[in-house]
Amino acid sequence: MNSQDIFAIVTRHAQEVVPGLENHQFRPTESLKDLGANSIDRSEIVMMTLDSLSLNIPLVETVKATNIGELVNLLHARL
Amino acid sequence: MPGSESSPILVTGVGVTSAIGQGKAGFIEALLNGHSNFAAMKRPGRQYRPEGAAEPGAGATRFLGAEIPSFEVPDIVPRTVVRTASLSGQVALTTLHEAWNDARLGDVDPARVGLVVGGSNFQQRELTLTHETFRGRLPFLRPTYGLSFMDSDVCGMCTEVFGIRGLAYTLGGASASGQLAVIHAIQAVESGQVDVCIALGALMDLSYWECQGFRAIGAMGSDVFANEPERACRPFDKRRDGFIFGECSGAVVVERASTASRRATDPYARVAGWGVQMDANRNPNPSFDGEVSVLQKALAKAGFAPEAIDYINPHGTGSSLGDTTELRAIEHCGLKHAYLNATKSLVGHGLSAAGAVEMVATLLQMRARRLHPMRNFDEPMDDSFNWARQPVDHAIQRAVKMSLGFSGINTAVCVERL
Repeated sequence: MNSQDIFAIVTRHAQEVVPGLENHQFRPTESLKDLGANSIDRSEIVMMTLDSLSLNIPLVETVKATNIGELVNLLHARL
Repeated sequence: MPGSESSPILVTGVGVTSAIGQGKAGFIEALLNGHSNFAAMKRPGRQYRPEGAAEPGAGATRFLGAEIPSFEVPDIVPRTVVRTASLSGQVALTTLHEAWNDARLGDVDPARVGLVVGGSNFQQRELTLTHETFRGRLPFLRPTYGLSFMDSDVCGMCTEVFGIRGLAYTLGGASASGQLAVIHAIQAVESGQVDVCIALGALMDLSYWECQGFRAIGAMGSDVFANEPERACRPFDKRRDGFIFGECSGAVVVERASTASRRATDPYARVAGWGVQMDANRNPNPSFDGEVSVLQKALAKAGFAPEAIDYINPHGTGSSLGDTTELRAIEHCGLKHAYLNATKSLVGHGLSAAGAVEMVATLLQMRARRLHPMRNFDEPMDDSFNWARQPVDHAIQRAVKMSLGFSGINTAVCVERL
């Protein structure tokens, strides 16, 4: 699985959790927070992504990411 | 101090969601037409299916009940809330929305509005489904479970969506929870803690575990009508063999006439009296003394002679001993002349919601000047009471609503036409 696949998974889950992102053109430089996800929403999106990837790592490891691109890179490195 | 102490306490709004209708208009129409919706329950998590067993294979359950076929969550509820809300939460938001608009609460200072949610452990089916989904992969449990497993999450959602800031808490009183919530809402207004208080009986979302438990303890029917679900729910009938569950939720808005008159409200009734008493008994058995006590307390507080009561909405679950005990208490209190019917015969037993839903049924019958019929009342256990077996025109003047719960909880509330 490459970074683009992971990016697609993250953004798909972001669309499920945050209303109004159905037609949004996501960019790696955008942060989930700026897209309207509160802290609970962000943890949901990350957990749904980890579940989709069958990647069992502590949530806390993902909080270092400041935008979607960094999150994708961080997850990709742990696969 | 808001409101004058002598200003009467009124019900100014109601909301209801049930298996026979969403909203007060549809609900009273269904009640008066004797509609019901009993079947083998189908909602995921309501029946146990042993792994690999074909339905209805060995070990599979077939619990009966009345499930809400569909309901519309109002647009005011953000989708992000709906996504993570339990069925109980979604139905609470829907029911509260109706009551909120009915009482025109949009113009009331949010700091002066309270919410008491009747019920405890009412999201059991959602918990069971979550446990099944994440069994063996615990690390992927959704973080929102940390919020949503608590019943108080429903208070959080409701206060956020409607901006309520006065007070909000859940209140557990088994099957009397809904009416206990009504009583606490009355007391919150009476004490001046808030100007307006909403009592909401939460939808009890049973999983197969609770159904099995209720069957095992002998509370939930039906052995007699296992293959005829539409005949199983029969309060006060000779062939009753326990309660039949019904999904529902009801909301009642109470406030003093002095605050209600500042808005264009159309009050349903005056809350005249109420009574609560415990039996000092952990078990599910009813108590004649406890029931007599709350009937007498409610009448005394209202200042009503028994003969002034012209309608009783009983607890009437279809339990063998429960129905017998309740009729004895009603007769003992000199209330045998009053009309009575059994709302549960049409709606089913809403457990935590029952007291609130049946208070709504009482108020809507009062307004309709007509009483709803009873279903499956083929052989009355006692023909000498004034049963509303068929729909009957009757302008209720003064009613008493009984609501009882496991662990020796007795409650009664009197309401009077304005």
